[in-house]
Amino acid sequence: MSNMKNLTPLAQTYLERFETARNSLPGHASPAVTSLRANGLARFAALDFPGRKVEEWRFTNLSPLTKGIEAAETPATSAIPTAEFDTPHVMTFINGRFSQADSTRDKLPEGLKLTSFAAEIDAGNSTLLDVDANDSRAVVALNTAFMEDGFVLIAEEGIASETPILIRFVSTAGTANNARHMRNVIRLGKKATVTLLEEHLGSDGHAYFANPVTEISLGEAARLNHYKLQVESNTAFHLANTDCEVPAGATYENFSLSTGARLSRNELTTRITGGKALTLLNGAYLMRGAQHCDTTTITRHLVPENDSRQVYKGILDEDAQGVFQGKIQIVKDAQKVSGDQLSRALLLSDRASVAVKPELEIHADDVKCSHGASSGELDEDAFFYLQSRGIDAKSARKMLIDAFLADVLEEISSETVRGYFANVTARWMDEV
Amino acid sequence: MLEIKNLHATVGGKEILKGINLTINAGEIHAIMGPNGAGKSTLSYVLAGRDGYEVTEGEVLYKGENLLALSPDERACHGIFLAFQYPVEIPGVASATFLKTAYNAQRKFRGEREVDAMEFLKLVREKTKELGINDDMLKRAVNVGFSGGEKKRNEVLQMALLEPDLMLLDETDSGLDIDALKIAADGINRLRSPKRAGLIITHYQRLLDYIIPDFVHVLADGKIVKSGDKSLALELEEKGYVALSAA
Repeated sequence: MSNMKNLTPLAQTYLERFETARNSLPGHASPAVTSLRANGLARFAALDFPGRKVEEWRFTNLSPLTKGIEAAETPATSAIPTAEFDTPHVMTFINGRFSQADSTRDKLPEGLKLTSFAAEIDAGNSTLLDVDANDSRAVVALNTAFMEDGFVLIAEEGIASETPILIRFVSTAGTANNARHMRNVIRLGKKATVTLLEEHLGSDGHAYFANPVTEISLGEAARLNHYKLQVESNTAFHLANTDCEVPAGATYENFSLSTGARLSRNELTTRITGGKALTLLNGAYLMRGAQHCDTTTITRHLVPENDSRQVYKGILDEDAQGVFQGKIQIVKDAQKVSGDQLSRALLLSDRASVAVKPELEIHADDVKCSHGASSGELDEDAFFYLQSRGIDAKSARKMLIDAFLADVLEEISSETVRGYFANVTARWMDEV
Repeated sequence: MLEIKNLHATVGGKEILKGINLTINAGEIHAIMGPNGAGKSTLSYVLAGRDGYEVTEGEVLYKGENLLALSPDERACHGIFLAFQYPVEIPGVASATFLKTAYNAQRKFRGEREVDAMEFLKLVREKTKELGINDDMLKRAVNVGFSGGEKKRNEVLQMALLEPDLMLLDETDSGLDIDALKIAADGINRLRSPKRAGLIITHYQRLLDYIIPDFVHVLADGKIVKSGDKSLALELEEKGYVALSAA
């Protein structure tokens, strides 16, 4: 640890904290887990949190996080909000730990297993620890060192679960621990179909760092509808990494709706390894104040004949900042692949901004790829048209914002989740 | 109903209207004709209250009140309707939602009960039937993918629903074939009443065969240079704007 002086203050804090934390973290009795954590820590120490000189982090400045987060101003306690999304399958994590009392898993269909990551590795289930030792992502390495809990969802071959499963990550105030290193694992067997909604919630004023890592593998012809609502505290940091492998005939549908956190990044890495595989990455982010929201996707087409489509829409008010970085890689010989990407941002204030970086790395010649990006203000012609019919300025503005989001919300194939997300966006707009 | 006195207006710092005087009484239909660039559309936007159209001199009284102090939506709620030359496409907003929102906004403004979706649908079906308009377009986004004729018919439908006191028709005939023109003119004629007034802005005399105006004015270079009855429109058609403007 001779180079500790050069590390960011938060990285130093983690390095110092590790020695005492390791004995209370799950799996501490297992040499395999212990060595995994030690490797993760060593990698993190070598990498540190990325600064803006790192190309992938050019638009997202982590210094408000890395100089150390203050927990002092947080309220003493805060209530756990009741779930608004109606489903019988709920798993809740409070301040990074599974809460049995706030969960209902008894109605899950046969062949679908939903458990706690901590419980699994404490029980010696080492099959979940599929960690790439060369992973260059600092926050993933940090997560590996400190991974605390999370959900493990395993669906056997052919299982079709129609009803969405809700996973809630709730951060309440009144805890000294201000880090949430959640580790989630999703594995679907062949032809299994599952709909999953993750919610990340926190009470405003509560400062913490959420660092979830989610590893997904799908069997052939499986389908995962994976939705995420990020409404973290307005003083929280949220850096999420989701990795998914999409094999032959499988569909991975991801939709992320973000309205929370002071600073957030949603990084999705997809490896497409089969023909007739479909990858749908969509999302919307609604930001105001000094919020910063980064969406980064890395979509790798590794074999021929598969498709990926992405649509991200952002609404930025006041001083909010948006970032969209979308990389599509198509390797040599991955012919007959299509990859489409669209990023659109609506700026409601002169001070709001968005940075967009599409990257197409194409090494095959028979492919169809597109990327489009736009950012602009509300359409003044449309605004005047609505007003000229008697609709007041505030309502006209809301109608146009609603319209801007309408088509991306349509991408959500689950009707109940679509309706739920539409309510979340409507509420956000009421505050415009 | 409408009194325009010495109206001067600029767009982007350039003076377009240079002293317009015009009085329109209830029950009257006035037509304003003029060459391109005369300021016809500017006049309609100034009356409807569009941002960026700045009145630098003069006044406009509507029902005896200062119209220029009102926001565009307030003007609409007070009974002014502008049928756009180029109706705006609004992706993502369903026509039915848009019409209902506008209809209820105006009812609310007048202190009337807002109607629910069922009542509204019934009302709008009556209007489309009356006007011979296919109500398929209600399901589509506002003006998106509409043909020129459909867009103009949509304007007429909105007008029929909102029942304005003062109709401002900006080049309603442009882009219409003869059948569409007849449907549009018929819709407008149905609204004619001793209580309502209309201002038709048009480049060609053609529309005035179907909507007979009480008065015709010629607008050139930001001013009304000649006024008369409907025969003036025919004279214009025959001699052209150049001859008249010079006169």
